[in-house]
Amino acid sequence: MYKEKTILIVDDMEINRIILAEIFKDNYNILQACDGDQAIEIINSNPDISAVLLDLIMPGTDGLGVLRDMKKSGRIAIVPVFLITAEENEKTLIEGYHLGAVDVIRKPFMAHFLKHRINNIVELYGHRNDLAKIVEEQVARLNHLNQSMIEILATAVEFRDCESGEHVKRIAGMTKALMTEVSKRYPEYYMTADEIDKISKSSVLHDIGKISIPDSILTKPGKLTPEEYEIMKQHTVKGYEFLMQFPNIIDESTYKYSCDICRYHHERWDGRGYPDKLKGDEIPIWAQVVSVADVYDALTAERVYKKPFSHEKAVDMIKNGECGLFNPKLIEAFEALTPG
Amino acid sequence: MDLFDELTHLGVDVSGGVSRLGGNKALYKRLLGSFVKSIKEYDIQIDFDENDYDEIIKKAHAIKGIAGNLSITPLYDGYAQIVSFLRNAEPRNAKEVLKKILPVQNEITACIEKHLN
Repeated sequence: MYKEKTILIVDDMEINRIILAEIFKDNYNILQACDGDQAIEIINSNPDISAVLLDLIMPGTDGLGVLRDMKKSGRIAIVPVFLITAEENEKTLIEGYHLGAVDVIRKPFMAHFLKHRINNIVELYGHRNDLAKIVEEQVARLNHLNQSMIEILATAVEFRDCESGEHVKRIAGMTKALMTEVSKRYPEYYMTADEIDKISKSSVLHDIGKISIPDSILTKPGKLTPEEYEIMKQHTVKGYEFLMQFPNIIDESTYKYSCDICRYHHERWDGRGYPDKLKGDEIPIWAQVVSVADVYDALTAERVYKKPFSHEKAVDMIKNGECGLFNPKLIEAFEALTPG
Repeated sequence: MDLFDELTHLGVDVSGGVSRLGGNKALYKRLLGSFVKSIKEYDIQIDFDENDYDEIIKKAHAIKGIAGNLSITPLYDGYAQIVSFLRNAEPRNAKEVLKKILPVQNEITACIEKHLN
């Protein structure tokens, strides 16, 4: 008979395992472990276990040891664990509950009640895990949709600038790679992969303020006059102000990165950038990273007013400070990423 | 008398034990054989050290568990008392109980061995 669910029975006494196996064999596939270490190995190599019946007192790793391992790996949240005990050892049972055990099975086993109790809880966990999966999928879809909307917005702004929309994607990719390298090399700039992902997603909005720049300036083929350049520089502040009006456009932490990147991605390490003339690490590292990515992409892309530079030439120009000075650590990381 | 009648006579709740196994008498019989092996393996000597008996608690606890599950009631009750006394640091009282139940235990294991061999 096909059985969808699997139950793990952990007890050092074979008789107890056989009795439990007999009670559950009609409804479950049965796995057995005779000590804690074997149990941990089976749990970690069987992602589909529906429940664990766990003896507390065993030689080697005991029942509480198994619970600790399941708590560490997070399995305790999705697999119900029933403690098997032959006595009232309150302290151990309380510790078991604290570690995430769901219920206690007392010896001698009461077969009929045991079946019902375990089936009910397995069913409940099944529903809960299914719901959690659905919610997780929906959150992922919503996030994806949200990110798509943000990219559409950023791309729409770019189209005015005669760009294809590939620029924002390239910036996001480069930001992720460079931020990861910087984080890996320098403990002071360490960020988790999750945060780096948020920074990369935020980077697409760096030029959103260009929506406020008149076409005559934004798409001017020739050199900008000093007055026009001052207006152009305003895209950083305008982008920041624009985002400030929509705090709910993205989640809180991503929002902070987006605002910083919009405002500070033209700041320079020596304080000669704009709009706030921040210096050194006054400029958030995520905005510094986007600056380098933005400059590199601008150099290697074709624009109405210039031909693209080669990769080598662009790297040289960035290193030589021809596009303003950058954090030396950032340059090192950038060179490591783009050898040759 | 067959094995089950004799065990019932010795105080074992055979019908309770069999019903725990969904009525599987053959399996119950097989587990009785395993029980005898375990009892020998977990042998507790009456003169155990009264200052160091952690291992004795573990053994008594294990026997209590399997005796309970096979409904070998006299041994389940006896070992439950032994565990309880030992956990309360009363090894002498535990020994008194052990003295009383060892003859019962020997009778039950002898009966099972006689019928299974």
